[in-house]
Amino acid sequence: MKLKDIITPFSAWSNIVKKPVTIKDPLNERPGADRYRGFHKNDVEACIGCGTCEAACENQAIDMVPVDGIETTKEDSGLRPLVDYGRCCWCALCVDVCTTDSLTMSNEYTWVSDNPDDFRYIPGVDKKPWDNSEKGWKKPDYSLYDPKRVDMEEIEPDDRISNFIEIVKGYSKEQAEKEADRCVSCGLCIATCPAHMDIPGYIKSIRDGDMEKGLQLLYDTNPLPEICGRVCTHRCEEVCSIGVKGDALAIRWLKRYIADNVPFEDYKRILGLDSLPENDKHIAIIGAGPSGISAAYYLRTLGYRVTVFEGKAKPGGATMYGIPKYRLPMEMLEQEIGLLEEMGVVFQFNTMVGREIKFTEVYTAYDAVFMGVGYEKPYLIAIDGEDAEGSIQAIDFLRDVNENKKPDLGHHVAVIGGGNVAMDAARVSRRFGAEVTVLYRRRIVDMPSDPEEIEGAEHEKVHLEPQAIPTRIIKDENGKVKGIEYLKAEMVADSKGGRPKPVAIEGSETILNVSTVIGAIGQEGYFEFLGTEFLEKLEMNRGKVITKENMETTIPRLFAGGDTVNKTADAISAIADGHKAAKGIDELLQANK
Amino acid sequence: MNKNNHKFKIEPDRSSYPQPDENGNLQIDLSSGKFVKVWHGPNHPGVTGNMSLELTLSGDEVVEAKTHVGYLHRGFEKLFERRTWMQCFPTVVRMCVPEPDSNEYNLAASMEELSGIEVPEYAQWMRMLVLEMARIGNLLRLLPAHAGTMGLGLGVQWGVYLRDLILDRFEELTGARIYHMFIIPGGVRGKLPEGFKDRLLSNLKDIDDFLLRFKRLAIDNAVFKKRAIGTGVVPPEWVDKFGVVGPNARAAGYRRDVRLDTPYLLYDQLDFECYVDENAASDVYSRTWVRYMDLKYTVDMIRQILDKMPEDGEILARIPNAMHWKVPAGETYVRSESSRGEYGFYVASDGSEFPRRIQLRGPSFNHALSLLEKMLVNANIADVSAIMVSLATCPPEIER
Amino acid sequence: MIQEFTNTDDILKFAINREQESIDLYSGLAGQAKNPEMKKVFASFADEERGHKKRLENIQVSGQFKFNESQIRDIKVGDYLIDVEPHAGMTYQEALIIAMKKEKAAFKLYSNLAAKVEDPLLKSIFESLAQEESKHKLRFELEYDEVVLKDN
Repeated sequence: MKLKDIITPFSAWSNIVKKPVTIKDPLNERPGADRYRGFHKNDVEACIGCGTCEAACENQAIDMVPVDGIETTKEDSGLRPLVDYGRCCWCALCVDVCTTDSLTMSNEYTWVSDNPDDFRYIPGVDKKPWDNSEKGWKKPDYSLYDPKRVDMEEIEPDDRISNFIEIVKGYSKEQAEKEADRCVSCGLCIATCPAHMDIPGYIKSIRDGDMEKGLQLLYDTNPLPEICGRVCTHRCEEVCSIGVKGDALAIRWLKRYIADNVPFEDYKRILGLDSLPENDKHIAIIGAGPSGISAAYYLRTLGYRVTVFEGKAKPGGATMYGIPKYRLPMEMLEQEIGLLEEMGVVFQFNTMVGREIKFTEVYTAYDAVFMGVGYEKPYLIAIDGEDAEGSIQAIDFLRDVNENKKPDLGHHVAVIGGGNVAMDAARVSRRFGAEVTVLYRRRIVDMPSDPEEIEGAEHEKVHLEPQAIPTRIIKDENGKVKGIEYLKAEMVADSKGGRPKPVAIEGSETILNVSTVIGAIGQEGYFEFLGTEFLEKLEMNRGKVITKENMETTIPRLFAGGDTVNKTADAISAIADGHKAAKGIDELLQANK
Repeated sequence: MNKNNHKFKIEPDRSSYPQPDENGNLQIDLSSGKFVKVWHGPNHPGVTGNMSLELTLSGDEVVEAKTHVGYLHRGFEKLFERRTWMQCFPTVVRMCVPEPDSNEYNLAASMEELSGIEVPEYAQWMRMLVLEMARIGNLLRLLPAHAGTMGLGLGVQWGVYLRDLILDRFEELTGARIYHMFIIPGGVRGKLPEGFKDRLLSNLKDIDDFLLRFKRLAIDNAVFKKRAIGTGVVPPEWVDKFGVVGPNARAAGYRRDVRLDTPYLLYDQLDFECYVDENAASDVYSRTWVRYMDLKYTVDMIRQILDKMPEDGEILARIPNAMHWKVPAGETYVRSESSRGEYGFYVASDGSEFPRRIQLRGPSFNHALSLLEKMLVNANIADVSAIMVSLATCPPEIER
Repeated sequence: MIQEFTNTDDILKFAINREQESIDLYSGLAGQAKNPEMKKVFASFADEERGHKKRLENIQVSGQFKFNESQIRDIKVGDYLIDVEPHAGMTYQEALIIAMKKEKAAFKLYSNLAAKVEDPLLKSIFESLAQEESKHKLRFELEYDEVVLKDN
């Protein structure tokens, strides 16, 4: 033992003359660090209620709850996170996975209340002193899921302009799995999809590599996934929560991936269609379009005998005759119909109700009738000279092309309209070597067409002329189209809050020398085939058939669906209608038994 | 029996103590009235954490010791099987409160290894910084506690103050003081805040000063020396027998440091050495000295890290979607050097969104559960706490 | 149609008669239409005209001439469309064209009359009536814009 060892510890006595260190005292508040993970804040305006925070929370401290004053819309579930601080562990994973960056944390960590319920609150809704504090944890400069979409490979514009080969190549396995990985399974898409397809479910099956499960999920709500996987209007992608800060999931292409990657021979086995129930009820379906096929499929799986009447030689309706083959190859449809025929659905082609067979006969002979006749009759542009030779309607033109008729378009085509039909007509015309100008009354952003279609048209050098109102079609001496005159338009705000209205500017006449004018401004239904007696009983509103919730029209046992019923008038809505009608028919006939 | 190198050697009369039978086991007849059973813990100021020692005393000498755990069981390893991989990330930290970052690192490293993810360089430097800061934080608590268990509380006060400063730095950097949840699988959750380096360097200077003062106060203290030297010896031949790791093994003359043996992160880019007691004294004093040197070296290492790390860079690799990260099927054992020694995670994945098994192999499992039972035999009841603290046991990592 | 307008009453009578003509026209079309939906459309047009007539009659009784003075925006949807001859199998599109054209003609008539008369009071009454017709036209044009020109 050294003397030093006894003395040195006394050096600590030097602290007597040192000022004491006080880290915290009760009178002075010590603010948390700038990055501190304290009580939550939520920008409820930016929040879309996707519930990713709830799913990420390891402690189930977050509940999504309805909030007064926040409406459920397509893009917003109307729910907001309620945080239970008896469970929260302040890990901030909820903040880091937030799809809108609306959820953050304040740097507040002391809060006293004698009411335990105060510690369950909805950030942003239940006002707290730290709501406006700038400090606290925010999502770091990273993303816990890939915000970028996997690019879809397409045939180059120069290579596709001369043919009708399908442009979109489809995802490979790696690409599909990478894309499927981006999904956070929030389910906003399910609510928005007209058919309420289990989108997160089938995306998960891609991640799991379980194509059979994926196909079953597709067919649960949609018997035409090959078609929807190609030409669906994909409203789901518009509300995708990942799309708020990044690119929306390519839901449509993922659906196509599943449908394309299950061998068609296996469909029957996977979907359990080998032994279907049978009953003695017989249902007639008028029109073999998407709604009719959908109704036929689900009715047949319920055991009904189904006969489909179709006026044309082939099934598919607008999807067969209206959509160009570069978007939807015909084999897809034929494959689908083959499946229905194998299931025992009877198709009577070239049999138009009202022409080959009277509606009354069908109505009396069958237990129930579903009518999915679609929009057959185009709206006229209703301007001078529309009767000229070379002034045609887009739906006739597209049908002829799909029937392999070669149209005579001449050197320059003017397409009137801005919907998908107009884009199809324009892009098909390009494939016949014509110059194409699309005349549209409003701005390009107002076009009802899918953005991909507009982009595709531009890549194929279709000239878009927005804010152009056609005023007359000029004929030559032989009554052939020589040109089209249009006025430039200015956009005027709608006082009622609708989309801005184009108003022609007097004196801005422009004449375009064209050889063909294709009208594509819209279509309406045609119900004369019902005959006067039934027509009078069929209630309609602005050209749309009025139906009950179960799709039954004002005529008992007559159900309807598709473009003539729903407002959105697209394939997926038609499929949803067909499914609903099948359920409606089943309920009706079961109740009558 | 373990006071062999004590200077003033007294051979006591041990005839009244229990005698070993032919197998070497002590003959203890509790009904003889010669023995007292004492429960040391689970709530006892001298016990680290919620575990209990069942001591059989003969006079003031421990003749038999049994360790008991079970007071802290939260079933984490089972919970992990029901959580997604990413949800495990905020949970693993709870398996060691004073130094949670090794857990975070091990989980992240195992997921990255199985998924084949390369962590950005900047994030790797950040991870090292956080791990070393955590080591300092824990050592500032542990080192003075060696003296604290022998009645010298002043050092503990100094240490805890400095630890608080380190926790302030953690709060700035990671957003939390204790459960940092910073080393996220794939990278880290942030960059250095403005002015952080200077504040940390100034704290390190305070720690330098503390080391000096603590040496005078405790290490060179005649009383501490008298009690610590020769107490709680781990014979070097026990090191491999009981799986002793880290500072406890280094006190016994073994050079055991995962950072040097199998370098992970970017430790191979740092210039450092671990302190090994050449004399292999392996007693409480030796272990105190090893921890003292560890703290000194770690302070130096943080200075190196701050000096060498890049100014800026990516913090997160492109990881699979955190909401349903599927770690490819496989198993791995990842380890890192915690302030208590080798800290390992055995991780098995069946390729699903949930871990099949995450098992923690903490150093305390061997040190506190089996080694301690042997070490306490023949120890004085007053030294029990000192021996236990000198092993730096942490019961949460025994009971997961 | 040469007529001398000397006072407000004359003008109102003239305007009321015109509204009655419209009511008759739409009622007739409703009777002719084959499609029950179009029957309803024309009946609703006739109802609207009845409303306009009622308004004018109220003014006649009260003598209070209070019309909205603000200029109604002409969005010119109907201006370049071809004329439609009324027939039994008319579509909604054709019905709207007829209605738009009719309101436009009324607007022009009152505007011309306003330009011809000297008396400032009568002038302002004609202008108000023209604005009123313009408002009716706008209503049909907006409908046409929303329904028929949805894709255009």
